[in-house]
Amino acid sequence: MDLNNKYWKGIEEAEKHPEFVSSKKNEFAEALPLEEVLNATDLDLSSNRRDFLKYFGFSVSAVALAACQKTQVKYAIPYVVNPENVTPGNANYYASTCGGCNTGCGILVKTREGRPIKLDGNELSPISKGALCATGQASILSLYDINRLANPVKNGNENENWGELDKEIIAKLEGIVASGGKITIVTGSSKSPSLAKALEVFKAKYAGTEVVAYDPISYSGILLANEKSFGKRALPSYNFDKADVIVSFGADFLGTWISPVEYTKQWVTKRNPKDGKLSKHYQFESILSLTGSNADVRVPMKESKEGIYLISLYNEIARQMNGSQIPVAQKAELAGNSIEKAAKDLVAASGRSLVVSKSNVTEHQILVNAINLMLGNYGAVIDMNNHSNQSNFIESDFEQFVSNLSSGSVKGVIFMGTNPVYSYHNSSKLVEGLKKASLVVTTSEQKDETSEVAGYICPDSHFLESWGDSEPKKGLISFTQPTISKVFNTRQAIESILIWAGLSAAEADAYTFIKSSYEDIDVWNKSVHDGVIVSATEESATPSFSANVNEAAEKIVSGSSKSDSSELIVYQKVGVKDGNLANNPWLHETPDPISKVCYDNYLSVSKSEAEKNDLKQNDVVNISLGNKKIENIPVLIQPGQATGTYAIALGYGRTQSGKVGKNLGKNAYPLLMVKDGNTLYNYQGSITVEKTGEKYVLAQTQTHHTIEGRDYIREATLEEFKKNPYVRNDHKIDLVTLWQEYDYTTGHKWGMAIDLNACTGCGACIVSCHIENNVPVVGRDEIRLRREMHWMRIDRYYSFYTPEQYLTKEKEIESSESTVYDNIRVVHAPMMCQHCEHAPCETVCPVLATTHSTEGLNQMTYNRCIGTKYCGNNCPYKVRRFNWFRYNDNDNFDNHFNNDLGKMVINPDVTVRTRGVMEKCSFCVQRIQAGKLSAKREGRKVKDGDIKTACATACPSNAIVFGDMNDPESEISKLYKNERSYHMLEEVGIKPSVSYLTKIRNV
Amino acid sequence: MFKNHKSYGKAALLLSLMPLAGTLFAQAPTEDAEGSAPGLFYTDTTFVILILLSILFLVIAYFLYRVKSHLDKIIEEKAGEEHVPGYYHRTFKPWLRTLNPTVASLAIGTLLGLTAFVKAYKFGMHKVGVQQSYSPTQPINYSHKLHAGKLQIDCKYCHATVEKSKQASIPSANTCMNCHKYVTLRDRYDGEVSPEIAKIYKAIGWDSENNAYIPGYKQKPIEWVRIHNLPDLAYFNHSQHVKVGKLECQTCHGPIEEMDKVYQYSSLQMNWCINCHKEKGIDVANNKYYEDLHKRLKMEGKTVYTVADNGGLECGKCHY
Repeated sequence: MDLNNKYWKGIEEAEKHPEFVSSKKNEFAEALPLEEVLNATDLDLSSNRRDFLKYFGFSVSAVALAACQKTQVKYAIPYVVNPENVTPGNANYYASTCGGCNTGCGILVKTREGRPIKLDGNELSPISKGALCATGQASILSLYDINRLANPVKNGNENENWGELDKEIIAKLEGIVASGGKITIVTGSSKSPSLAKALEVFKAKYAGTEVVAYDPISYSGILLANEKSFGKRALPSYNFDKADVIVSFGADFLGTWISPVEYTKQWVTKRNPKDGKLSKHYQFESILSLTGSNADVRVPMKESKEGIYLISLYNEIARQMNGSQIPVAQKAELAGNSIEKAAKDLVAASGRSLVVSKSNVTEHQILVNAINLMLGNYGAVIDMNNHSNQSNFIESDFEQFVSNLSSGSVKGVIFMGTNPVYSYHNSSKLVEGLKKASLVVTTSEQKDETSEVAGYICPDSHFLESWGDSEPKKGLISFTQPTISKVFNTRQAIESILIWAGLSAAEADAYTFIKSSYEDIDVWNKSVHDGVIVSATEESATPSFSANVNEAAEKIVSGSSKSDSSELIVYQKVGVKDGNLANNPWLHETPDPISKVCYDNYLSVSKSEAEKNDLKQNDVVNISLGNKKIENIPVLIQPGQATGTYAIALGYGRTQSGKVGKNLGKNAYPLLMVKDGNTLYNYQGSITVEKTGEKYVLAQTQTHHTIEGRDYIREATLEEFKKNPYVRNDHKIDLVTLWQEYDYTTGHKWGMAIDLNACTGCGACIVSCHIENNVPVVGRDEIRLRREMHWMRIDRYYSFYTPEQYLTKEKEIESSESTVYDNIRVVHAPMMCQHCEHAPCETVCPVLATTHSTEGLNQMTYNRCIGTKYCGNNCPYKVRRFNWFRYNDNDNFDNHFNNDLGKMVINPDVTVRTRGVMEKCSFCVQRIQAGKLSAKREGRKVKDGDIKTACATACPSNAIVFGDMNDPESEISKLYKNERSYHMLEEVGIKPSVSYLTKIRNV
Repeated sequence: MFKNHKSYGKAALLLSLMPLAGTLFAQAPTEDAEGSAPGLFYTDTTFVILILLSILFLVIAYFLYRVKSHLDKIIEEKAGEEHVPGYYHRTFKPWLRTLNPTVASLAIGTLLGLTAFVKAYKFGMHKVGVQQSYSPTQPINYSHKLHAGKLQIDCKYCHATVEKSKQASIPSANTCMNCHKYVTLRDRYDGEVSPEIAKIYKAIGWDSENNAYIPGYKQKPIEWVRIHNLPDLAYFNHSQHVKVGKLECQTCHGPIEEMDKVYQYSSLQMNWCINCHKEKGIDVANNKYYEDLHKRLKMEGKTVYTVADNGGLECGKCHY
């Protein structure tokens, strides 16, 4: 690896497309269409003296008149009875469980005067360990979603009276049972002890009731393989923190696979090269996933060939360990003998390694189990005894339910928190079946595809308004408690079930019902306070293996297609995931960590595939797979994607959702295929892509705020690092400065360190910052104009994979062969205001709206700013954002900021900015001030860790550390002395307060 | 007093100019007027009235002058005396003629413009958005003079969060009930509960006949009118000033224990904040937080360390 290595953010930058080069020079992405706008309304731009005087006079009198407003009378309305422990002006924190997905991360809910305003991870939870992903962070906004149902609905009409509905539903349920019909309750697959108990109560009243689990995303391949292998139908607990070698076949465990926050926390513990040790991470995959972008060795692979590669890996390991190999003719190898190398590393670290696969084919997972068993990974790294309950969805059960519906034997259906009409692959069959049922009830929080076909919608309360318990892992109970009184006339689904089961409203009360399972009041109080109960874990052991590997391998070989045709991968995006939170503007506004596309999903293709089919970026195409078809989807050319593959993300194309999510992108669920009872997330067969001739510009931020090819990134290999810890970082620049130095000897000097080796690029920090600092949502069109308002971004840099293909400053790209884009390396670099000591923005502000503080902060004073944008232009990091519009109370930005309910999420300690002012990262100055104040009040010094910025709190990989550099014991001052510590653009001499740590790759 | 009748005109002119002078030199109720907030003589309306009066007097003076000079002329003509032109026609008018009309009108224009600007600037800077002495009528006629002054109830008994929160908090009705469960002033209202105290009962649902809370009562909060309104862009924290800075409530809120009806004592303008930050010293010796600073100051032999020295004038300390 050469220091000369040049990084690029997109193909247009690497190849220097003329449009990109010319647009880079402009201040604005597009020329401002002033003349156009004015001419369109027949206004003459030229004016004479008389006109000038007229306009002048008019403006003066208009201003004078406008100023004649009476000052508004404001009220200060105290509580009638002040609730205990609520101090107006101070935040309260409650432990709860995140409802953003099935994972069951423990969270802390920050509330102000009884309204939740921020979610953070709960440090006591063994799953989240104090961090929270982007989806979880954003899920708070769904509480204040104006599109939520305010009342229960019967046949499309809102009805405020729950009692009436309950009577009708109970009568119908009783009628179904009396006539010998069946009732089925479809719930999510995650395990909740109290819900299970409630369902038993229900079953006791309505005999023959079936409960079917349903999740949009299936892991049934793993579940069935484990059943066959070990006789236990469960997901294991993985311990990535104990694995020195990780081989992943497509499993995006840092982004979307099973429990990403938990795995990121574990994975990162082995990514600190402090003692010359680093885990080695191989990733074989088709799309460039978040996990793949962080792997040491990433090998593009067609997912349809995964089985063959798994057999090869098995045989290679067996050969090296002198075990018996599978007798199959086929053997496959990938670029650079990577399977052989991976096998060698795995064998060397046997007992301390881990192989995982995303595949939903049972046979693949049996092979993965066999490999892990052969390596002796069960026990230490994989724990089958303390299994995970994060998914228990068995597809064949649900298929059975759908055919029972079609045959007419199921007469009553209750959907609890599930939306299969949207996410089931054969949705039309399900809808037809539901028409035969005499009672269809859903508990959807807002109108969705399933509620469209349901007679009754009995809206569930949001998880922040609910009581609940869940058991995401064996021996771990995670509690949910309400942090706000109900916003609408909703009722918890568990209460509905109990009331329909004949319990009185008092007995069915969720609090009473759940509490009754926990008899000891002290245990209950402590559990609700801590949010979790962790009971003693079982000793992990190697289970006995009973599956037939040879048989599985034979099935793989016989089933594998010999053809080399293209295939389509259907995957989850890091923020939107399965599409449940599709109406959440924060998630759509956050760029995808890899493609950097906001809003919309797209057909992602590799460069060589695109050239073969004459596809360009933003071309609109129709894609058909056999009889299935998606029309009018834009194309994105994705470096690093395996040749011969296409990819579309799930979670889009909701036909029934709120104002943000409705009809956004295209629904890819209908493209899924079921084989041997399991959903396949890759489609192989005849794929035709035809251009429509239209163009659709994706809102892609990848080259926004480009920094002119300057050196930002430092990286080295582990070998180089072991020889010289200061590698690439040893020639510090001696600065001679004309500027006056600041005196920081007493008081605080705030600083931040970002470990490029730890940052996975997941985007949790972006959403956290978005919420904490009242950053507005600007929407797709504004992002296309490079006007996104995020205070922090994660720059994703590409570089070519092999040294021969390196792009250097001297040697610009020589070969135009598109195959160089088939595999690439990625670096994620979070970027926010660097709080330079000699900040270039400060010197150019004509009104002193941005100034320097004695604590090293670069302060932005909105009320002084007149919006010249000089500061933004003078910032070498391009981190300043200009408010082009007033985004609050503006119906042109129809998100959450224009209604009273949506505004309840606003952080009262941070100003909501108006049009015409600059803004930027403040190092969460409100948190700094609050932290200092509580220290002063208590008469003590600020402790390290007392003050954390929103991004640092959210980070699942502990990549961001914030603290006082004047405290010699603080983590930050130690990190500043780390050998890997460097400042971006050190040579400019502006002395930033953010330090980055060199990325070390174990290649 | 006046030697001859001709002087009456001058006197009238002088008199008519007095209100104008009054408007120009009148001061906003600054230092000397402070504290006597309700019932100020000088308000915006007075300013306008004075201007109108001046104009009216000027017009009257002009007409009187014209009438008088005509009458003089007639008297003189009748008496056969030769008409001696007045001061205006004799001296002032010829002098006026010598002036360049452009320069003269520009000069007058500038003078008037300057006056208007100074006035507008003063108004803009010290009046717009400043609600000093604002004293709205509150839903309950509550007297601080009685509670804090006469009865000597500690401020923090009601404003209980002042030492731990950003807000001092207006007490919730249940705080009032701690005393007013018993204090009903029935003796002064013919056996009825005082109408003001009854308002608390109405809000919280207290049955004063049976001395019990009414079960299931739909409580209604008391909507106090907010007197001290800082703009949203400024962050202010009570605990910072009261607990850490050890300020008395009266420093900012004035003689609250003498107010029957509360008014805004301070201007709450930024210069008011800044002035105090410049003057007020920090008690570094008695707070561990300032330990290092205290050591350094002792070494340097400094005794006074103001809020401003500690960065208290930086924008980002209050605006974020």
